[in-house]
Amino acid sequence: MTEPVFAAHIMLATLSGAMIILFGAFYAFFFAWSRLKNSASHALLAYASYAVFAVFTLVLARALHLSGHWHILIGLILLGYWLAPYGVWRLCVSTHAHEKTQATTRTRQTRNYKFH
Amino acid sequence: MKYSKTDYSTLSPGKKLAVKYFVVAIILFGAQLLFGAIAGAQYLHPGLFYNTLDFNVVRMVHINAMVVWMLYGFIGSVYWLIEDEAQTELVGYTLGNLAFWILTLAVTVVVAVYLLVQIGPGNQLSLWLINEGREYIEAPRWADIGIVICMLIFFYNVSATFMKGRWTGIAGVLVLDLVALAGLYLAGMFYTPNISIDQYWWWVIHLWIEATWEVLVGCIMAWALMHLLGTPRRIVQTWLYIEVALMFGPGILGLGHHYFWIGTPEYWLTIGGFFSALEPIPLVAMVVHAVYDAGKHDFKNRNHPAMAWLIAHAFGNFFGAGVWGFMHTLPQINLYTHGTQWSASHGHLAFFGAYASINIAMWYIAVQKLRGDVPFDSRLPHAWRWKWALALLNIGVLGMTLALLVSGYEQSFIERAIEGSTWAGYFKAQTAKWFVQGMWWRQFFGYATIAGYLLLVWDLATIGKTVSQPASGADKLPAHQPAVSR
Repeated sequence: MTEPVFAAHIMLATLSGAMIILFGAFYAFFFAWSRLKNSASHALLAYASYAVFAVFTLVLARALHLSGHWHILIGLILLGYWLAPYGVWRLCVSTHAHEKTQATTRTRQTRNYKFH
Repeated sequence: MKYSKTDYSTLSPGKKLAVKYFVVAIILFGAQLLFGAIAGAQYLHPGLFYNTLDFNVVRMVHINAMVVWMLYGFIGSVYWLIEDEAQTELVGYTLGNLAFWILTLAVTVVVAVYLLVQIGPGNQLSLWLINEGREYIEAPRWADIGIVICMLIFFYNVSATFMKGRWTGIAGVLVLDLVALAGLYLAGMFYTPNISIDQYWWWVIHLWIEATWEVLVGCIMAWALMHLLGTPRRIVQTWLYIEVALMFGPGILGLGHHYFWIGTPEYWLTIGGFFSALEPIPLVAMVVHAVYDAGKHDFKNRNHPAMAWLIAHAFGNFFGAGVWGFMHTLPQINLYTHGTQWSASHGHLAFFGAYASINIAMWYIAVQKLRGDVPFDSRLPHAWRWKWALALLNIGVLGMTLALLVSGYEQSFIERAIEGSTWAGYFKAQTAKWFVQGMWWRQFFGYATIAGYLLLVWDLATIGKTVSQPASGADKLPAHQPAVSR
């Protein structure tokens, strides 16, 4: 049974929905930045953003009366947003690895040219 | 300063056709804004143009103009990039030109009929000649058939050009997407007097915007990134495939959020809710890739306006589709917000961010070519025009979005939650203080959007005209995509 949000909680529900996406994005941003710069402080910011994201997810679940099979959705949101930046980061590194190889080859060729 | 000449005649056939589509798109964009401003004013002054230009007709033209100008923009963009991508001349230019004129004539006649025949009984004759009645795709049956024929010609031109020239990953995705684009439109031509069943077929517009258009935009973006930043083909194509996979996952089943309240079984609440909630994940994942690219590469390019609009596209898509969409997509809250000004708020930012901005980026890419490929960078004179056009259009749309959100919240609360969707509740909400104030602010930001549009048109007509050609190719930054293997 799907129970609608209480009228008094409409604002809370929509605000938490917006915050989920915003803090999901902040988590992704700081996660990527921390990997890029190898920065522990940015990693901390990423995990803090994820914590805020998780809190708003739970607030949304409460405001929208997400019970029963809707718990699966909450699990999927928490897990999906946590793992997505890891997966995308790996994809970024893999897809750009070819570019790196090409750059290295070009550098080697230039060096060889200079020596000749 | 040496004056560079705008020389249309030296363009290749595909690019000539693209310019025609772009010009009509720009005109229809203006029509969309004009009718939007009238519709907004009618909310504030309900008697405005009563029995002359009724609100339902004004709203219909406003939305139809948007759908059609984006279609023109996409077709133009594909014609613009196809010869570079296939590395051969466009196949079927004459046929494509004929289709352009048929489509443009059909659009003109359809709009004229909308405006001239506003009231009357709905029957088979009106279905065929005046208005099909299905929201957002109201074109009468004769025009529907014409649109499908034009899309098939477009499909033939695109696929035949790729068959003749180079077949790339972008080409494969694009051709398959065009099959879906034309095929889905056919599904929207069925007629039924049962409104619940009729709304079931409304997925045509959902799958157009959240499936085929997204993929089309992905192809255009992939080409634009290669063109503007010199991003390697291998990378953009890999990400294009990933996008298609992600989009076909939550994107298609996410259409369930249109099935919540039309009499379909309750399991649609679960399907629509679940997959709609997962739709923003690709957008969040996109943030990671953007940060990676920004950190590893510099964004030097020769077309700053186009690049700025591509960045606006990324942000607009994230906020309009992601944040504004997820806010009210789950059925527990959607019960109150569906079809209110809240939906309009989401629609305004999502359409502008996801689709309008990337079309404008393509116009700047095209106009640079028309001005002799001069650099549109920091040395560009009168750069304030494109910057102010960008600012006014984005502030205007964002302002309308926020104003409609306030009105939408008030409407959802009073009309739906308190009054239980009654007729009296509707009018109570329409006259509520915050609702009315929101509509006034929407109108104000609508005028800001129009000012931005006028500045954009002025800029497109004049940008780069007074720039001298670069003395050598030395200052040319990575612009055109490298001719690498597929």
